[in-house]
Amino acid sequence: MISKFSLSRDYKKSTEATKISLAHQEKAKSQIASSSAIEVHELTRCFGSFVAVNRINFSIRSGEVVAFLGPNGAGKTTTIKMLTGLLRPTSGQAFILGFDVEKNLPQIKNFIGYMSQRFSLYPLLTAAENIEFFGGIVGLRRQKIKEKIEELAAIISSDYLNQPTQTLPPGIRQEVALFAALLHDPPIIFLDEPTSGVSPERRRHFWMKIYDLKCQGKTLLVSTHNLDEAEYADRIIIIHQGKIRFQGELASLYEQEKVTSLENFFKQMVSEPKNGSNNSSY
Amino acid sequence: MIRLKAIIKKEFIHIRRDPRSLVIIFVLPLVMIFIFGHVLSFDLKKIETLIIDLDRSLFSRELASRFASAPLYSIYFLDRPSISRKQIFKDESIIREKTGERGAEVAEKWLRQGKIKQYLVIPPDFSRKLSSNQPAQVAVVIDGSDANVANRIYQYNERIFRHFFFRASRLRPAFEPEIKMFFNPEIASTPFIIPGLVAALMLMISAMLTSLSLTREKETGSIDLLFISPLRSQEIIIGKTIPYLIVALLVSLGIILFARFLFHVQIRGSLLLLFLSSLIYLIVGLSLGILISVVASSQKVAMLIALLGTILPSIFLSGFIFPLESLSPILRAFSYFIPATYFLRILRGIVLKGASLPHFLFEALILVLMSFFLLGAASRKFQSLRRAKT
Repeated sequence: MISKFSLSRDYKKSTEATKISLAHQEKAKSQIASSSAIEVHELTRCFGSFVAVNRINFSIRSGEVVAFLGPNGAGKTTTIKMLTGLLRPTSGQAFILGFDVEKNLPQIKNFIGYMSQRFSLYPLLTAAENIEFFGGIVGLRRQKIKEKIEELAAIISSDYLNQPTQTLPPGIRQEVALFAALLHDPPIIFLDEPTSGVSPERRRHFWMKIYDLKCQGKTLLVSTHNLDEAEYADRIIIIHQGKIRFQGELASLYEQEKVTSLENFFKQMVSEPKNGSNNSSY
Repeated sequence: MIRLKAIIKKEFIHIRRDPRSLVIIFVLPLVMIFIFGHVLSFDLKKIETLIIDLDRSLFSRELASRFASAPLYSIYFLDRPSISRKQIFKDESIIREKTGERGAEVAEKWLRQGKIKQYLVIPPDFSRKLSSNQPAQVAVVIDGSDANVANRIYQYNERIFRHFFFRASRLRPAFEPEIKMFFNPEIASTPFIIPGLVAALMLMISAMLTSLSLTREKETGSIDLLFISPLRSQEIIIGKTIPYLIVALLVSLGIILFARFLFHVQIRGSLLLLFLSSLIYLIVGLSLGILISVVASSQKVAMLIALLGTILPSIFLSGFIFPLESLSPILRAFSYFIPATYFLRILRGIVLKGASLPHFLFEALILVLMSFFLLGAASRKFQSLRRAKT
């Protein structure tokens, strides 16, 4: 927290834009090395009278892989949207590498990668064209984009490279989408239900990728409603009806909540009576 | 620059890969100009005129023959057989009618039935009065149910009467006005209507292009990826505007070629000026489209707003059909906010009058200001869309 405040003071004091961004990058690097990558304080989001996310608090250390679990409509996507700056919180704060998401959105954009199951690639564009586009909008030079496309060709077959992505098999599409989300090499990656609608085999393969990213020192928040994926993560955060019900390691969940499996915990959680206007499932 | 180029390239690929939308974008305005161009014509094709000649003199025949030889008139007589008489006068007894009074009754009946647009009664003393230099009278009864048509018939009649009396009467008028219709000598409505249509359609197409493209991104959710990227709102707006500006220019070229070769509207002024003013006008339309996309939740809604929000005001409140002077003060105040009002003046100026820039500097300036204002507003609104969702 202290470093965070000194950071924002630095920001105000400094006059030259270049100095500011350099200072930010330095700070950011030290943040990656030392403290939390993502910090959430009392984050709340209402849509009218409906409270989608209700005063949640959590923090994720650098290099951690966290599974963000919850039934459909629990508030996972809303939370991720607030963390990526797509949605303005009703109240509360979120920090990415010490930067306040609300105040320093332009800087944060360079640090985060985002992939969602809903839409990640333009279906009419080929895989290569998608990479060219997403590389372009994050400011990659032509040469760099070329290298990236070659890199992708090595991962998926080069036959797929020049096909419109709508004709690609779902697994390949997912691969390309993840690749596109990581083009600017962000230290923090948000994956919003990246594995929904994908076979268990494919899911395991995808989590291998996530491990690779973890080994590169990246921080990942992966939302999912597939409970088996919880086992792959370092830590889990369970959200239900906009409130965090559990955060920690899976083993401590069994211990703490006296359940034998995650599934049982979920069943127990979902069958609880809904509180007030907070009807989160639809 | 890299980011902007990426967006522009992506839009072009999208335009190319989606030929169905492209066909609609190109064909819709051409079909509309074809239909509207033919329907919205104030030109009289034929003026059916019944002449009841009670004088039956040299003078009255001369007057009748002047009407008969005028291009639009088709003349029927009560008492003289003519080829067209059979088509109209089915009742043989009517043909035998000779008295003026009965004739007028019959004529009124046909006027009511719409068989004729007017009738003339030449009184029995017509030639006598003319010869003795007394004012001679001719009764003209015009079907006034369509004020526009009646007015035109009145004007056409006037011309024929003037020529006739000038020649026939020994009473020379004190002065003879020499009237010339400038820019549109035939007072045909096509050169007047078509530029109005062109203006309305150009605005519609440009607004539709950007609004559809952006609401599509909203529908699929891809807009989130643009928002999450380091792209600035202005970059998204400009990146969306440039490709569709080119498409809109091509469509406009198609519309103008259609107007030129199908409706024979000659372009008298500078093509460069036409191009430049179109460019500004299209930017206004494209920015409008972006503003529409901010409020429209789906492509259907966007299409509807773009269609109704541009075409209707452009037709009714821009001076396209109704002169601005004849609008009520409230509607007139509205008309000042409609881009077509200004572009129409420029377009008619260039196309019909061969006007040059100084003639419509004011209108051009307003359009430039409008384009700046709308682009700015679109950018700001878009920014709020990006982060609001409150």
